[in-house]
Amino acid sequence: MTRHWIWLALACATAGSAVPALSAPAGIGRQVRFVGIHPIPKSEGGGICYIEGPHVHIYVANKIEYRAHGPDHYFVGDPVAYGYDGPRIAYKGPHPIHVDVEVGGDPDVEYCYLTGPHYHAFAPPDGPDFKLLGDAYFYVGEPPRVFFDARPTYVGINETYRPLTYERPVVTIDAPVGWIGARAELVGPRIEPVRVEPGFAVGADVHVQLPSIHIGLDVGGPGVLVRERPVYIEERDKHDNGRHNGHHKGH
Amino acid sequence: MKLAWLAVIFLGGCGGKDSAPGGGSGGSAAVSGPAAAAATTARDDLLAAWTKAGLAVTAFAPTASPVGADCAAGVVAKLDALVCVLPSPEQAKRQAEAGLSWVGDATGAAQAHGALVVVIADRKKADPTGRTINQLFKLAPP
Repeated sequence: MTRHWIWLALACATAGSAVPALSAPAGIGRQVRFVGIHPIPKSEGGGICYIEGPHVHIYVANKIEYRAHGPDHYFVGDPVAYGYDGPRIAYKGPHPIHVDVEVGGDPDVEYCYLTGPHYHAFAPPDGPDFKLLGDAYFYVGEPPRVFFDARPTYVGINETYRPLTYERPVVTIDAPVGWIGARAELVGPRIEPVRVEPGFAVGADVHVQLPSIHIGLDVGGPGVLVRERPVYIEERDKHDNGRHNGHHKGH
Repeated sequence: MKLAWLAVIFLGGCGGKDSAPGGGSGGSAAVSGPAAAAATTARDDLLAAWTKAGLAVTAFAPTASPVGADCAAGVVAKLDALVCVLPSPEQAKRQAEAGLSWVGDATGAAQAHGALVVVIADRKKADPTGRTINQLFKLAPP
């Protein structure tokens, strides 16, 4: 009987290798699912993957530039930053993306949190939520709660793009009334310049939250040197300035 | 008698990988009759469309796959391609996912186009930007 089992094992092994198609890798464990165009990691050669439909790669998608769309990863960043050479549409400020309209699948609205001028490969849907001024789209709709809730997680994308050198859209026209980028929750209070008298040696860092503004002063010597550092809009609590009821989870 | 049992076990238990996700080759019946002719035409039309677009298309040979019973594989523009004919567009949609196991550890895609399931795998990294893969799917019927 033992010989029979050995024979059976050998037969199975032989049969398995005799079917050509099954010689291809059977596992899908290393595959990562994408849908739509997206950047290719530098380690994989860089550039843009132009496959528009659902597809797989053997590399991961980062969490800040991708959103889950069903089982797939969908890129919400600016593809031009990575060399995209297809049709480009300019936007300024954060805005929703109707992912299902772009790539199909179940209804799905995700949000782009890029604060400055940037590109996408698609135009927004028609309707009152977007205004086209100076060849750029401005989102003037009322963002839902989820936009603010998820913002701390994703707004770091601006730090990712800031050092990238590429041809960004130039938007010089004034933003329309109601533009999301002018909302108090996203801009914060205006900070007047700080005057410092000569002769002081001052090293000061002022941190103001809600949202926090970081001002650095570096004053020294007999002369006056006031260096105002860039203003960073940081993600902190109470970004709705109390306009909305309740508190956000985890704040 | 023992040999008969062994044969039964062999036939029933050694299907192994062939019955992987999506139901394997047994997941969809082979197309026959007029439907078979139409389906074969659809595959031929697809290969013709790829050729007409200037892509190098090798001969496609019947092969077993986890997608369905009527599958043929070949090479298009240095990309491995599998085109399967399913009995209906609905079954093609259901079985497309199984094409990803044929792709394996490579860039690739598996999509249903009508009653066809089209699977492309770039195992030789011949299409680093995916433009050709995208073109292949765009040339497939909706």
